Amino acid sequence: MTTGDQPDIPRLVTALQAAAAAIRIDAAEQLCRAGTAARAAAVDLVRACGDDDEQVREWAAAALEELGPPTADALPALLPFLDGAEPLSAYWAATLLGRSGEAAATAVPHLANSLGTADDIAVRQRIAWALGKIGPAAAAGRGALERAATDPDQRLARLAADALAAIGG
Amino acid sequence: MVPRPPFPRRAAAVGVVVCLWLSAGPTTHGQHPGGAPLQIAGMAPPALPLPPARIPKPPDAILVASFNIQVFGESKLAKGNVVDVLARVVRHFDIVAIQEVRAKSDGILPTFVQAVNADGSRYQFVLGPRLGRTVSKEQYAFVYDTERIEVDPASVGTVPDPGDRLHRPPLHARFRTRIIPREMAFTFWLVDIHTDPDEVPQEVDALADVFMGMKSARPDEDDVILLGDLNASPQQFGRMKQLPNVAWAITAGPTNTHRTKTYDNLIFDHVATREYLGRSGVYDLQNGFGLSLQQALEVSDHCPVWGAFYPAEAPRAAPPGGIATGPVAAPR
Repeated sequence: MTTGDQPDIPRLVTALQAAAAAIRIDAAEQLCRAGTAARAAAVDLVRACGDDDEQVREWAAAALEELGPPTADALPALLPFLDGAEPLSAYWAATLLGRSGEAAATAVPHLANSLGTADDIAVRQRIAWALGKIGPAAAAGRGALERAATDPDQRLARLAADALAAIGG
Repeated sequence: MVPRPPFPRRAAAVGVVVCLWLSAGPTTHGQHPGGAPLQIAGMAPPALPLPPARIPKPPDAILVASFNIQVFGESKLAKGNVVDVLARVVRHFDIVAIQEVRAKSDGILPTFVQAVNADGSRYQFVLGPRLGRTVSKEQYAFVYDTERIEVDPASVGTVPDPGDRLHRPPLHARFRTRIIPREMAFTFWLVDIHTDPDEVPQEVDALADVFMGMKSARPDEDDVILLGDLNASPQQFGRMKQLPNVAWAITAGPTNTHRTKTYDNLIFDHVATREYLGRSGVYDLQNGFGLSLQQALEVSDHCPVWGAFYPAEAPRAAPPGGIATGPVAAPR
């Protein structure tokens, strides 16, 4: 049982890489309990969403739900996950970029490209949502969003239309 | 024929009916719905030589709770001290709507309910399907005391969401109290929800439609209690706030373990659901069990929230210009 109130985020990030699943689970759980203090571990938690162990993935996703927007310096490191092999990591990378709002404007070309190429529909939906959250600064993504707005997936089409409205102009 | 007991008016119910059994009294954060706070020093596994004593339940109210048991999966279930706290929490209530069962294993709820019943209780559970847009899925559950509550198995289901507006469409089930004669028993829908924290305004608005849909799901059932982790405080209830006669049990005060958010609630139509006794609360995990913040967070980042309801069906509200129609006759 943990007794300290101040989580040691760097130590927990290191533990996320441990060979033993039990150690990784415990690290992800402690990062989850850290709330917004785990923001510094955002990229590592996105990576952990692709862990082989189900409980590591679940605790990492739960931690990401709670930590709010990532720090600005973490944004470039999130981009490769959008095209990675782990849909859950891609989903959370898109979510964190969206939460960053206008601060993620430099990610718009990458997001727009991934909107058209991602295999996973939940990832594409979340990318459309993220572009809408970036707002007018996501104008470069308008073409990709217009194509997505005609997608047969009802939710993707709706989110793309909402994003276009948020971008305006 | 058993005479029907007079249905208490709300003001009288708070003062008379509930005080007969509750010693906790206040419903603010830091209180729990019955008895003195349980102390678990250091959350060490209990070393009691005897099974824990059964918690007495009130004869004149049922307690309905909602509890987001954050990432309730294998790793949490493996912590005996955490499971012990969770089991003790559940035993205080007649029904607990649970959010965030997260496991590929089907064994979480059966094992947990076994722990709840270790004191001789007879709880059972209803478990919904795995829901979510990613590989990370969640299940809703209802855990209920079969000595006081029964479920209509045919009523259990997931709310249809053809527009895909809800990340995890709610689990619904219809329950009936068992502590008074069946023909007078309070019947009600519970609708269990955990919204997506990144799409709260849209999902809360969608829940307004869910609520009205459940209200009209059966002509013989006017009581709908939507409960769960809304990720929204009452100020953020959007279109749901505009529903006629809508009310919520937790009007102020935090419901999360960090004591920063009022995200968990029970929502109902206060005219239709006159069975609500006007008593509600947040079961504070830290104060209730003498835990540190970190220990409480190991249990969950949310505290249970609860409301008390009269166990007999209230007469239907009088239509405009009309009179009350008497107890609702639920199908047998």
